[in-house]
Amino acid sequence: MADAAVHAHDHEHPGFFTRWFCSTNHKDIGILYLFTAGVIGIVSVAFTMYMRLELMEPGVQYMLLEDGTPNGHLWNVMITAHGVLMMFFVVIPALFGGFGNYFMPLHIGAPDMAFPRMNNLSYWLFVAGSSLGVLSLFVPGGNGQLGTGVGWVLYAPLSTTESGMSMDFAIFAVHLSGASSILGAINIITTFLNMRAPGMTLMKVPLFAWSIFITAFMILLALPVLAGAITMLLTDRNFGTTFFDPAGGGDPVLYQHILWFFGHPEVYIIVVPAFGIVSHVISTFSKKPIFGYSGMVFAMVGIAVLGFVVWAHHMYTVGMSKNAQAYFMLATMVIAVPTGIKIFSWIATMWGGSIELKAPMLWAFGFLFLFTVGGVTGIVLSQAGIDRAYHDTYYVVAHFHYVMSLGAVFGIFMGIYYWIGKMSGRQYPEGLAKLHFWMMFIGANITFFPQHFLGRQGMPRRYIDYPEAFAFWNYISSIGAFISGASLILFLYILWYTLTRGAKVTEHNYWHDELGTLEWSLPNPPPTHTFEELPTRAMWDKHAH
Amino acid sequence: MFDRKEKSAGGRPPAARAQDRPRAAPESDWTERSDMPVYRVVLWPNRSLSPRARRWVMVLVALGLTAPVVPYIATPIFWGLLPFEGAAFFALWLSFRRNDADAQLSEVLSIWPDEIRVERREPSGRVLRWRADPYWVRVMIHVGGRPENYLTLKGGGREIELGAFLSPEERTRLAGDVEQAIQKALRSQP
Repeated sequence: MADAAVHAHDHEHPGFFTRWFCSTNHKDIGILYLFTAGVIGIVSVAFTMYMRLELMEPGVQYMLLEDGTPNGHLWNVMITAHGVLMMFFVVIPALFGGFGNYFMPLHIGAPDMAFPRMNNLSYWLFVAGSSLGVLSLFVPGGNGQLGTGVGWVLYAPLSTTESGMSMDFAIFAVHLSGASSILGAINIITTFLNMRAPGMTLMKVPLFAWSIFITAFMILLALPVLAGAITMLLTDRNFGTTFFDPAGGGDPVLYQHILWFFGHPEVYIIVVPAFGIVSHVISTFSKKPIFGYSGMVFAMVGIAVLGFVVWAHHMYTVGMSKNAQAYFMLATMVIAVPTGIKIFSWIATMWGGSIELKAPMLWAFGFLFLFTVGGVTGIVLSQAGIDRAYHDTYYVVAHFHYVMSLGAVFGIFMGIYYWIGKMSGRQYPEGLAKLHFWMMFIGANITFFPQHFLGRQGMPRRYIDYPEAFAFWNYISSIGAFISGASLILFLYILWYTLTRGAKVTEHNYWHDELGTLEWSLPNPPPTHTFEELPTRAMWDKHAH
Repeated sequence: MFDRKEKSAGGRPPAARAQDRPRAAPESDWTERSDMPVYRVVLWPNRSLSPRARRWVMVLVALGLTAPVVPYIATPIFWGLLPFEGAAFFALWLSFRRNDADAQLSEVLSIWPDEIRVERREPSGRVLRWRADPYWVRVMIHVGGRPENYLTLKGGGREIELGAFLSPEERTRLAGDVEQAIQKALRSQP
């Protein structure tokens, strides 16, 4: 019989190696994801600093070959690596793998993920993928140099014809990242659906858990398509198949269709978890329940579904029929409806609330503003006619950085400031955190807003150099990038200070969140095994009566 | 979850499936009793997704994974995508099965006027048994302990846990029910 003593023992503290290298605990794995994504993020941001330095003045000053001629390949490698690393190894792992792992099981009252060991496998596949991604920079690639420079979308025929093995490394990196994400998604779907606390019906689940679940569903449906596409690239490169080679009956435009069938949902895979975090933060710091809970849930579901049927708006210029363009244009514009529901619901949540401008709330404000700007330029770009002019210009670069770099990355910082007290047991210094926000907010806007002007002037993306006419706004943009870069250094200091010298937080519900998602009923940091008992309804549903 | 009538609300309980593959219990004096107990309860871990809802989830996933390959039927691209789409579907399906298997944990508590028995069937197939004289059994609920409202039965020289996988509320209710059932059983002694 299971004798009562089974539960009476104190939990042993695992050693460093066991805890961080063999962990099956969802909270430890969440922290590992955040840490690793942070390291890769620093590498990726360093590339952008170098690129903005190069673009600060017309002419090529820094990225030169030994004979003094411009090294366009290096530029291409930087762009490719920045895209691949940010898309696959920074933003998704931080928001979905990091916060999702740590807080989704807490929010639904599950003792852990459904498959803790598979969770560990997901993390290490992600590490292996990240390593391959970084390694791809140092192995022979195209143009007789190191690294691959075909862009993160890996378009054929460029990707199928580039010499060297760097491209293969990049493909395997994305493969491993995909396998990791799919396993993580399956784990999260099973946990979310099957292991909610008794009585916690779907429409009582906190919005962050919903956002992670919806993201998991998108990953499950989108990533296998990417895996298939890049496998075909791999066989085209190495085994003589002609999936995307017209000489053998293939079609490179088909690759674009398949890639973007994954690629557009990917945008929402990146940003939907941030929607979840922003809902909690705005509600907590407005001291009001979220406005229109079910509307928020269905808006996320709507965004996810619509995200799968708009892919070709990334490729209006490939020669689609007018009817196809008209469809993709209208479908894309429809996404503004659920997105608008979310933005207005967040504003309505703040309306009449007792707003407290702590750092997480500032990041939430920043997110709302920047995501809205990015959304509006998205509507502009959705029009096939206008896109003819803007396609492959800096207007597009500005648009997607407003949505992802500023939207999703602001979501990451928001989550860190909101939950770091819970995760580490220590609180961040409020003043420095606010300074970090303002530096990043101002810096990022100075970086990317002028890029709209550059795009309108016709400056094409993906080039190492530009004519004199674009000099002014490029100079401003680079200044902004350096301010953002400095804010990242400040953030690293804040992180170090918080973890080593931050004020200890003993109060479980240190934000006095009255809505009471379950993490606020736990100590800081929560014990290794969170809910040895299933949470009661009273713990998570304070507004039931 | 626990159910006095041994019927489940959300489909067939894992407990019932666990009984499909019993492994021999080592205790030699454990014989099945044919007389009706005064009280009997079957406990099993909570699984929040009903089998019906799960079917819908799998149908949705199947449709979502099929949609991107259908346009490519009869082209090489179809065969490039199909293995990955299929693998994703089966991985999700297997994970639900495994999650169910992990929930194949049941505890059956039966109370007769002269005997109280608990039989616990674990996911591994291991069967653990405990028996005692109801007169001497103490039902103890450890309020404020960890796990909260931890429920134990003391008797027969051991203290065993009951329903450690239930919610604290459910354990409190169960403790009251068991206490009452023991009283009833003792009153009905000849």
